Amino acid sequence: MAAAGGGGGGGGRATTSGCGLKRRYAPHDQEEETMNQDQSSKEDWCGRLWNGMDLLKDVTENKHVLPTGLEGIDTLLGGGLRQGQLTEVTGPSSSGKTQVCLHSASHAAVKHMGVVMYLDTSNSFSPSRIATIIDGTNDLSDQRGFDLPHKERLKTMMRSIVCKSVFDIFGMFEVLHQLEVSLLNDKVKSGGRKICLLIVDSISSLLAPIIGGKYPQGRSMMISVAMILKKLAYKHNLSVLVTNHMVSAGNGAVKPALGESWKAVPHVRLVISREHGSNICTATVLKHTLLASGRTAKFVVPS
Amino acid sequence: MEHNRSPYPDAVTFQGPRMLGICSLTSSHRNTSLLVLVTSMTYLVAGFTAKKLLRSVVSQGLVKLNWGMLCLLMNTSAADLPTKYDLFFRIQLAINVQIPVEYGGLGGKAVYIDTEGSFMVERVYQIAEGCIRDILEHFPHSHEKSSSGQKQLQPEHFLADIYYFRICSYTEQIAVINYLEKFLGEHKDVRIVVIDNVTFHFRQDFEDLALRTRVLSGLSLKLMKIAKTYNLAVVLLNQVTTKFTEGSFQLTLALGDSWSHSCTNRLILYWNGNERYAHLDKSPSLPVASAPYAVTGKGIRDAVSSHHKRARVT
Repeated sequence: MAAAGGGGGGGGRATTSGCGLKRRYAPHDQEEETMNQDQSSKEDWCGRLWNGMDLLKDVTENKHVLPTGLEGIDTLLGGGLRQGQLTEVTGPSSSGKTQVCLHSASHAAVKHMGVVMYLDTSNSFSPSRIATIIDGTNDLSDQRGFDLPHKERLKTMMRSIVCKSVFDIFGMFEVLHQLEVSLLNDKVKSGGRKICLLIVDSISSLLAPIIGGKYPQGRSMMISVAMILKKLAYKHNLSVLVTNHMVSAGNGAVKPALGESWKAVPHVRLVISREHGSNICTATVLKHTLLASGRTAKFVVPS
Repeated sequence: MEHNRSPYPDAVTFQGPRMLGICSLTSSHRNTSLLVLVTSMTYLVAGFTAKKLLRSVVSQGLVKLNWGMLCLLMNTSAADLPTKYDLFFRIQLAINVQIPVEYGGLGGKAVYIDTEGSFMVERVYQIAEGCIRDILEHFPHSHEKSSSGQKQLQPEHFLADIYYFRICSYTEQIAVINYLEKFLGEHKDVRIVVIDNVTFHFRQDFEDLALRTRVLSGLSLKLMKIAKTYNLAVVLLNQVTTKFTEGSFQLTLALGDSWSHSCTNRLILYWNGNERYAHLDKSPSLPVASAPYAVTGKGIRDAVSSHHKRARVT
């Protein structure tokens, strides 16, 4: 007993981490010392501690909603893509996922909400399509710059969309790391505005070659990417939009790809589908942190 | 080059001069008369003709395939010979990319990766001849001007600019695509890569389905990267299978949903009665549309005249 206490006391004197077990055996003054050290190191690590009122104030003042420009989706999402959250759009092939991404990007550019970063894995970013979408909404916008000629306005709007092509998961890590570093150094992008929307078109194509099989590295990389995206969203107040595809689930049903571990990652999940040969798509809420799931809405992709 | 003369007569009459290298894909409801000449190097325009210079332009649209992947679906059943119409499409693409820039084409070379062995050189020669004849017919004034350019317009030159790879197993297919990057770094003037039946070696005798999905998605990412880096178009051909869902047979792409997700554009070729149709199913910038086309002795042309078309092989 005495030996254990003595051994524990000796161990307690050496420790500086917040290990509660060792602290119990440490002498009283040393216990306080280690606890104070813990407190300051904890504060350096995870920022200040929030209470409920701070959080509420932050949500009402800072966390805005970015509308996508497609009415049905905006009503489903309660306004649009929420800042600080990761939204996933999934659906079978050719159901309009890329169109949702292009519309969100152009809408953010038209309303001058900030810089949009578009990470494209399938070469489906089409500047002509963005120009068509912007032209379609331009008559309604009465933002600043209305005295400039049409071409100039289009140029400034398109300059706020930054597109990068990534073709493998390591390229993706690099791009996200660079983004993180430049945001930490407070470097603003292209014209003095901060980035507000990050779109990853088809993160599932990047993850499909590495997920599965008996080695778990693929899944760990998927979770790392998810953590980095959510961290970026939280720290820098971005909305993140990713797309996913569907795989078969047995008995002819389909389910979103990337498996069970991915299901917990996005804050909001939408499933969209398109009737054959028409422009009308249907969106269903699969998961939402604030609103009820299971609601559907129809929206039209304008051509 | 010695080859058998085709049974089709040489003097095939069309209703007007045709502009080569412009694809027309139209929706059955639209009757716009829009025509855009594509000469910039970033756009490769797929195979077949559109425009009648003399007559009024009726129901045209435009498909521009810019550096992305085009996935062509062929309506072939499982156990039959390579039917001729899908072959023409691929060969027509390989030929059309080589039309010199002054005539509206791209003046590039083509890479053809063959997995089934259905590349028939005699037919390529025939299509090249037909293409050249149409060029000369359409640009008769330049006949006197550029005599040096004339020398380039020989079918032998067209054939010499097609790089052909024949692969016999899926490991060879993966190896060729890995090698393609180095190859394209040396041959910078390739503008199109056609892969004939990318899924052929993966459909039979592949036990581990999860491995197949991983390998194919890795392949498609590599091809996307090649298309973006070297500014060319990648055309993949695939087959269609039937799926029995909810009491009806539906045609779906072979190899499942994850493969169909990896392409940028998708074009489905099918028969509608006695007419061949092409249907644009997936595209990031163009609406869904379909257009008829015809296969003639000279290659693929608009479905205007009903003579000299190849009949349906059932």
